[in-house]
Amino acid sequence: MDKVLSAESGSRILLLGNEAIARGALEAGVSVATTYPGTPASEIGDTLARVAKDAGIYFEYSVNEKVATEIAIGAATSDVRALVCMKHVGVNVAADALMTFAYTGTRGGFVLVTADDPSCHSSQNEQDNRYYALFGGFPLFEPSSPQECLDMTKQAFEVSEKLEMPVIVRTTTRIAHVRAPVTVGDIRKGPAKGEFIKDPGRFVTVPAVARERHLVLLEKLREAEHDAEQSEFNFVVGGGRNSIGIITSSIAAAYAEDAVRYLEISADILKLGFSYPLPRKKVLEFVGQHDPIVIVEELEPILENSIRSLVQHRGLGAKVLGKADGLFPQAHEFNETIVAEGLSKALSVEVQSPEKCGLPVDLPVRPPVLCAGCPHSATYFAVSKAVGKKALFATDIGCYTLGVAPPYSAADLLVCMGSSVGTAGGLAKVNDLPVIAFIGDSTFFHAGVPSLINAVHQGHRFLLMILDNRTTAMTGHQPHPGSRTDPRNPDATPISLEEVVKGCGVMWLRTIDPYDISATIDLVNEALTYDGVSVIIARRECALIAKRDEKGAIIRKHHVDQEACKKCRTCVTKFQCPAISSIDKVQTIDMDLCAGCGVCAQVCPYGAMKEVE
Amino acid sequence: MVDIYLVGVGGQGIITASKIIGEAAMLAGQKVILSETHGMAQRGGSVVCTARIGEVSGPLIPDASADVVLSFELLETLRAICKASENTLVIASTETWVPLSVSTQRMRYPSAEEVRKRFESASNRAVFVNSRKMAEEAGAPISSNVVMVGALAGIGITGIDRGHFEAAVRRTISRKVDENLKAFSYGFDEGKKALA
Repeated sequence: MDKVLSAESGSRILLLGNEAIARGALEAGVSVATTYPGTPASEIGDTLARVAKDAGIYFEYSVNEKVATEIAIGAATSDVRALVCMKHVGVNVAADALMTFAYTGTRGGFVLVTADDPSCHSSQNEQDNRYYALFGGFPLFEPSSPQECLDMTKQAFEVSEKLEMPVIVRTTTRIAHVRAPVTVGDIRKGPAKGEFIKDPGRFVTVPAVARERHLVLLEKLREAEHDAEQSEFNFVVGGGRNSIGIITSSIAAAYAEDAVRYLEISADILKLGFSYPLPRKKVLEFVGQHDPIVIVEELEPILENSIRSLVQHRGLGAKVLGKADGLFPQAHEFNETIVAEGLSKALSVEVQSPEKCGLPVDLPVRPPVLCAGCPHSATYFAVSKAVGKKALFATDIGCYTLGVAPPYSAADLLVCMGSSVGTAGGLAKVNDLPVIAFIGDSTFFHAGVPSLINAVHQGHRFLLMILDNRTTAMTGHQPHPGSRTDPRNPDATPISLEEVVKGCGVMWLRTIDPYDISATIDLVNEALTYDGVSVIIARRECALIAKRDEKGAIIRKHHVDQEACKKCRTCVTKFQCPAISSIDKVQTIDMDLCAGCGVCAQVCPYGAMKEVE
Repeated sequence: MVDIYLVGVGGQGIITASKIIGEAAMLAGQKVILSETHGMAQRGGSVVCTARIGEVSGPLIPDASADVVLSFELLETLRAICKASENTLVIASTETWVPLSVSTQRMRYPSAEEVRKRFESASNRAVFVNSRKMAEEAGAPISSNVVMVGALAGIGITGIDRGHFEAAVRRTISRKVDENLKAFSYGFDEGKKALA
């Protein structure tokens, strides 16, 4: 059994921040948990998916974050506890549901986990989702360690249920993907059934109801502030007798503690774990006892702006220092050095920063790449053979986004999940070049369907290629509605991509195996002559899954016949496979890495890629 | 306080290696914090993990302050150069995964000697381990990562007992446990020898 479920109360286990959140939810007696996978949130859902059956909870990978949120709302308003987890940009998708759910409020505890990604390690932006707490009116917890991930998740359920408000737990990559010893508590089994008590005057948000509920929300936020004042997660580190005061939250608190130690300064740190609504009394008390006050927070100056306005409103003379003074950057993640440099400027302390260091310029780069045997690589090779650079490529979110890099350069526009289909329509309206949109199977189900309906209905003209590798590969191979089978969810009904596409009104639809390069090239050329929306489903299971399951894969490993090789280097300049290397014009295939897809044999113009006997 | 900066290529089992270090530190009753690379970066790209043992709160290691650079791939060792100082101990695998840029941009893959030289200004102590060969000999060819953890343990810089490391291997690895313990011991002996 998974240790996240089996670890006994009081024991100390090594947990990832995301696993600690999952354990916290189990200890809180969660009944329903939902998610759409996305880095850095994925392991919360993956952990719960693993333990759901043994824990007796309902878990699902929903089709997208909005639906995941709505499932959880349905459960929580029926008085059971519900958890919904997503990456930061997923909250944008879910926001329509969340903003009004804040008005109705909940009955059972409802916790939304948003995993933000400062520095965009695996995201298209680094938006600071603490703003959602202010925007919608949600109490906000900001853990700074795996232990706090567990403790705050549990507490978030209590606060949510007591105040009947949905609550946000916000992590960042450096909390979600940090591992540390965590002391666990008792697991509480949540009830499988709740009861929805009808109350349309609260839960049916027609205008008359919504107007009243907004007033209720504002009143509840005042109650929540009272809870934040009392919260054990808002506390002072450093004894409270120093004149310098630092106010901080989230992982910045950890860097601030280390920086204070490194700079050998005496400062008190007010750490805000329950940071919204801002516990104004506690903050004012701290401000009254310290001068100057330095605000240390990653990304947006949210605490800083609130505290400045509070100090100004109360007419206090304390000096508040932060991003407005140029001490800390507003972009990208913090580290101990950035915080130490900001503090040293704020406090006029000498600091010996390490010399600026750069990597050797001749160091070969190693960006992430499409794997050996990746069907997307075959698709991109075929498309570039068919159209070269004479097309506009609207792309989407998934492993296949890596097609932006040479040799394929098959990405010209990307903004968010599902955007390929919508943007393709706009591109095609005002450009003469043909437009090709790429979208993965999971992403198509997530946000591509309404835009495809729109494209057909409005008479847009482009080719949509659905890169169907039967899984949600990039985030760790989670199932989606089109997946064949999910052993943990045997009753799931697989949804046919073809039927969905046809149902959207598409008249030109073909399915192809992208490993067949010449057939794919011909099909792309044919599709581009169609006056309307043409759809090609390029279907081939993710090479990593095929390799893992050792079934479904075509295992015919290849080697380079050095006598037949004319050293044209097409296999490395026009195609991309991590198993093929070219050193001093000698091309070789690494047998350990070769996935046996046989695509390189079709790529080579001289037939030099031979099957291994 | 020991800061270990782990570098290598996505797919080499670097997270697993850092988990073993974390478990061992926890079993030894030490405070420990690890940070990991997940998601898209794992697709054959450069990967960094950190393991900080001792009294510290933040997970990231500042420049020029790693006590150990533990590298799982020869070229990737160089990507840790900013974290090293003259006090840093470099423990690097001789395993090579040639990146596509070497083929496509005709860049040169450095030799072990060049890697050592590059570190000379930053660090005067470097140990190279043929972890791939040792893993194969142990009967667990993909456990090069465990060999490297063994080398780290053998060198003794963490102050954590061998027994705790071995227990950590058992806790972390579910398949081929005996072979992995053997891989660990090969690495351990190599590390111990390097120090002598």
